[in-house]
Amino acid sequence: MALFAFFQTILLLVSLSLRTCQSEVLSEPLPLTPESLDVSINSAQRCLHLQWRVHSLAYHQELKMVFQIEISRINTSNVIWVDYYSTTVKWNQVLHWSWESELPLECATHFVRIRSRVDDARVPEPRFWSNWSSWKEVNEQNSLGHKASSVFPVDKLVEEGSNVTICYISRSHQNNVSCYLDGVRMHVEQLDPNVSAFHVNNVAFVRETGTNIFCEMDPKDDAGTVLFVSKVLEEPKDFSCETQDFKTLHCTWDPGSDTSLVRKQPYQSYTLFESFSGEKRLCEHKNWCDWQIAQDSQEMYNFTLVAENYLRKRSVNILFNLTHRVRPMTPKVFFKNISATNATMTWRVHSTGNHRTLLCQIELHGEGKVIQHNASIKVNGEYLLSELEPDTQYMARVHCGDANHFWKWSEWSGENFTTLEAAPSEAPDVWRDVKSELGNRTVTLFWKPLSKSHANGKIRFYNVIVENLDKPSELEPVPIPAPANHTKLALDQCSYRIHVTANNSVGTSPASVIVISGDPGNQVEEERVNVTADGFSLSWKPQSGDVTGYVVEWCDRPQDGSCDLQWENLGPNTTSTVISSDAFRPGVRYNFRIYGISTKRIAYLLEQKTGYSQELAPLVNPQVVMSNLTSHSFTLSWKDYPTETQRSFIRGYHVYLKPKEGQCHPGFEKAALSDNSVCCKYKIDKPEQKTFVVENLQPESIYEFFVTPFTSVGEGPLDAFTKVTTPDEHSHLLIRIILPTVFCVVLIMIVCYLNSQWMKEKCYPDIPDPYKSSVLSLIKSKENPHLTIMSVKDCIPDAIEVINKPEGSKIQFSGTRNSLTETEITKPAYLYLLPAEKNYSGPGPCICFENFTYNQAASNSGSCGHVPVPPTAPSQRGLLTSLENLLKALEKNYMNSQGEIPAGETTLNYVSQLASPMSGDKDSLPTDPPVPALCSEYKMQMAIPLGLASPPLSENSSVSSVTLLDQGDHHH
Amino acid sequence: FLLPAPLCLLTMLLPPLSPGDPISPAEPISQAYSLALYMQKNTSTLLQTYLQYQGSPFSDPGFSAPELQLSSLPPAAVSFKTWHALDDAERLGRAQGAFQALSQHLQLVGDDQSDLNPASPILLAQLGAARLRAQGLLGNMVAIMTALGLPIPPEEDTLGLVAFGASAFERKCRGYVVTREYGHWTDRAVRDLALLKAKYPG
Repeated sequence: MALFAFFQTILLLVSLSLRTCQSEVLSEPLPLTPESLDVSINSAQRCLHLQWRVHSLAYHQELKMVFQIEISRINTSNVIWVDYYSTTVKWNQVLHWSWESELPLECATHFVRIRSRVDDARVPEPRFWSNWSSWKEVNEQNSLGHKASSVFPVDKLVEEGSNVTICYISRSHQNNVSCYLDGVRMHVEQLDPNVSAFHVNNVAFVRETGTNIFCEMDPKDDAGTVLFVSKVLEEPKDFSCETQDFKTLHCTWDPGSDTSLVRKQPYQSYTLFESFSGEKRLCEHKNWCDWQIAQDSQEMYNFTLVAENYLRKRSVNILFNLTHRVRPMTPKVFFKNISATNATMTWRVHSTGNHRTLLCQIELHGEGKVIQHNASIKVNGEYLLSELEPDTQYMARVHCGDANHFWKWSEWSGENFTTLEAAPSEAPDVWRDVKSELGNRTVTLFWKPLSKSHANGKIRFYNVIVENLDKPSELEPVPIPAPANHTKLALDQCSYRIHVTANNSVGTSPASVIVISGDPGNQVEEERVNVTADGFSLSWKPQSGDVTGYVVEWCDRPQDGSCDLQWENLGPNTTSTVISSDAFRPGVRYNFRIYGISTKRIAYLLEQKTGYSQELAPLVNPQVVMSNLTSHSFTLSWKDYPTETQRSFIRGYHVYLKPKEGQCHPGFEKAALSDNSVCCKYKIDKPEQKTFVVENLQPESIYEFFVTPFTSVGEGPLDAFTKVTTPDEHSHLLIRIILPTVFCVVLIMIVCYLNSQWMKEKCYPDIPDPYKSSVLSLIKSKENPHLTIMSVKDCIPDAIEVINKPEGSKIQFSGTRNSLTETEITKPAYLYLLPAEKNYSGPGPCICFENFTYNQAASNSGSCGHVPVPPTAPSQRGLLTSLENLLKALEKNYMNSQGEIPAGETTLNYVSQLASPMSGDKDSLPTDPPVPALCSEYKMQMAIPLGLASPPLSENSSVSSVTLLDQGDHHH
Repeated sequence: FLLPAPLCLLTMLLPPLSPGDPISPAEPISQAYSLALYMQKNTSTLLQTYLQYQGSPFSDPGFSAPELQLSSLPPAAVSFKTWHALDDAERLGRAQGAFQALSQHLQLVGDDQSDLNPASPILLAQLGAARLRAQGLLGNMVAIMTALGLPIPPEEDTLGLVAFGASAFERKCRGYVVTREYGHWTDRAVRDLALLKAKYPG
């Protein structure tokens, strides 16, 4: 047995040695088949790892070989990948090869096989492939688990822009598979009845919480997964390191995009690696890292900054000399020796190490300007800032850099400081306004505040010194506290020299001198000024002799009375200037006075100019007064405007007249008004002419006129026309007649009134006294000397039947119905009161009667209505009036009694009352025929006697009475 | 009427009553009913908020996946006949079991969402509030069962070992089922308690 074993060993050794010899000679090919193929799976990486050996190799033998690997999916015949792997194979070496699948390995079963071929030059051709190894099945164990379907890969982290293949597997056969990536349907390819897949190219970052992928099919069996898409890790930008103190290197960079995903991938990490020292430091911050400088004074540094996340690494590298990366520390700044015009700036830069030379930049900010200076220092710096303005705030700052190997400036360091005040450098600009009143002068001194560059500090007060040139006296300065810009002085007629200085806390300015002359000055003609786009263009005649300059003064606000005096100083060679001001307004007249200043500082008025910055049309029309109105003409006159209210220079006036007919008067021309009406216009070219006579008018006509000024920019507003009516040509004659007539009538009326009592007594007394009647005397003297006045006591009443006699023999006609009724009752009284005396004779006979004229109403009428004794001719109006009144009263009674008494009866009564023999009751007729003749005596008295040509008493006396009644009717 | 929220939370803090106390079931039923009604108002808001944060398809309008169920969570859906025939012990026992499971699942969903959507405090707060209310209603159920003299089932670990290792998508689905079933079970609890309220008037 032992022998057998020995031979066996010998045989093996021989065999091996033979093989060795053969391999060295490589005379024939060897069947080197891959063996022990093992395939492992890495689902997360979607990788298949293959490992195998080539057992046939001799000990220590090395041979170049090529391996062909085939990968099939789902079934062996579906070869999806063929690859060749060349390597030098050693004895007993385990060979590795990996393959990354696009499709998640959970999605399908994969099969792998391998074969080999010697690819070594020592082995002569032809070389043959070995046999294939058997198919190795690779299957992600139980990828579905207990679930009916799944989508793979699960919770996969991928980089934005990469390509991903997604699969959907199910236990049941799939129909109508739909898959969605964040709601977007994808194109799905079915790999086998239970597996579908789709590709997502250039996948996009949607959100940090991942992108949902969701698949559904028939029968209903949904599944999904979340794809976590990370942004691509960027290379750090602007990576640099610097030191301020040679102890620490401060490295900074720009990290770029944030690649973190919620709970899936943290923020990318940064690591600093220094190759010379071999040291490494994990940085805690996203964009900076401090590196401690070793004590061994390492000069050169080679830094690598590595950025890393789960998917990728990125790195940048810098190599530098430490001394070339020095940024000095921020200087500390102080100021000293600050004066009105200078200041010294000092600063110190700490710990730059080895007393390196520093270049520093100093910036001075002030008055809106920046001035830069440079300085070279070691540790402490000092710089004199000169030519500064007094009383001015400045800001000075400094930064430094390494002078030898400039890297970066330090941070700026600066401070504010203010220079001290200095005495004002210029005299204030002074002007005056002189007002004379009752021998005294009020001088108002104005001055302009000094500019900041001349004030050199805060002006505290102005000193005014008034020097009497005629009577030398002690000079007393009068301080006027700032910020006053004027003061008033009351001066007499002497000449004065006035000095004005401005004072701040440091000193006094040069004095400004102005002389107020005792001479009241000359008056000059006012001229109009030219206006240009820039302002008022003033020019004046140059003054020969001792003029040291000119002053132009004006009021900025003449329109509201405040004036706001302004002036402008001009040199002696100047003869023109342009005045402009923001205060100038259109339609306001500005007056400019140009003074020459003598060497004695006395101002002489040279010229006076006036003008408008812009003329405006007048706003008001003059108040026109019409006078001298005749039938053919009238005169218009108006007053001037105040100059201040004029909005432009008045060039004349337009008189508008509305003509009676269409024709205009000579001198007028037709013009259309702004309200489109047409009228006649007369143009007055002279602004000083303020009267106008309108002539050639027609009598008894209405004319309308209107006067408006006109200027270069138009005329005044269109106001209402004033109407005027020309009088009648003969009206004056009428006036000559009517006025005296009216006067006379009034005079008569006054006289009548004054003598009314006398007249009454004479003409119509209330109770006529027959004895006093002048008629009696007339009768007596002329006609019938036997005639006497009837006396009541002489009457022998025949029959008296008195029913009602309230007042003697008078019966009142009160006008009431009752009294009439009584009258009616007493009717027999009137009827029987007829004379019944048969044998009466001589003067005795009389008729007792009730006279109706003693009617209350008639007597109350208060006029000369006393019928029985008419004092004057019946044609006179007074009597007519009384008669009329009487008749009225009668008629009234008649009318009132109408309702109770038949008209004929009443008339009969009345007639019988008048003792007509042909009326009345026959029973009461006088038996004696002459009685009516006797009675007619009274009748004469009653009617129209007066001894004139009275008709003989006859039967027609009643007719006479009727006539009277008719007359009354007629008058009525 | 509806109890204000603080009072609801107060009720769940009430100490459990001992079985022997002779107490009317009307009061705990009324309390539980009020709480269930209050919860019912918020369940749809919770579901909408949850879906809104999960991305498509969950956040798509009208999303619904009734086929999705969790084996660890009993479904609320039941035929009306079966439901109506339940006796008090079964009725309360099922509700009690469901809200016990819901309170555990809501804890799980809260953890899942603090992992998947850590930057959404509104959702996390609503999930936390829902879990507290489920626990409150659970306490009320126990009180009713105690008042009715019914045996209290022991607390169970309904989640078991299946909670971990789920994919993000599965966790989103799980949260959807839990928030949906929370609403369904609250609706059913309102009906359960209304029936008991009628049966045991105060």
